[in-house]
Amino acid sequence: MPSSETERRAILPDEVPLHARPAGDFVRAAAQFPAEICVLANGKRANAKSILEILALGALGGTELVIAASGDRAAEAADHLAGLVPQLG
Amino acid sequence: MDRESRNGFVGLVLVSHSAAIADGLAELVAQVAGPSVPIVAAGGGPEGTFGTDGGRVLDALREAAGPTGAVILMDLGSSVLSVRAALGELPEETVERLRIADAPLVEGAIAAGVTASTGGSVDEVLAAAQEARTVAKF
Repeated sequence: MPSSETERRAILPDEVPLHARPAGDFVRAAAQFPAEICVLANGKRANAKSILEILALGALGGTELVIAASGDRAAEAADHLAGLVPQLG
Repeated sequence: MDRESRNGFVGLVLVSHSAAIADGLAELVAQVAGPSVPIVAAGGGPEGTFGTDGGRVLDALREAAGPTGAVILMDLGSSVLSVRAALGELPEETVERLRIADAPLVEGAIAAGVTASTGGSVDEVLAAAQEARTVAKF
């Protein structure tokens, strides 16, 4: 198992909280990758592949998310999700 | 039964004492999980009363039990009994494709729906539903 850990930052669009459909889109994107992926926001940490943990972050529009991935294809996963976040809506 | 959007995604069956709860939850899950997950709502008693309708639950299980399987979520009490009774009416090969989630209905259905929409297996969808018992809401 590679020991690579990659961290990326991304900001939610001002009018898009990480709720309901955007959260579902984010989790579906994360689930495509084998890496372990965490999202940090508001001082909380969530498994990117768990919709309930992502919703519990309570991340409002304009919030900065830290995406931390480790394991297989970690950098690719972090890059992809960091690119997705500003496009959620 | 293979109708409309069954493309290899695990389905959900939502059983509640209230038709409005089951139908509304199906709409909410479709919002979060997207249109690919087959969802069958079986809420309310016969003639629009509150309660459960064993015949409707049985039809819902038959409709949902496609080749990829389905996870059943229920509210309380007689919903659980109705599901167990309906499973007793179905052939073994159908029952093998179904899972009963011991989970809060709303949170479990959302978690199950999103996991189903990622192409998760019936046991992965069941695990996601049951994770709702322990994940904090905020």
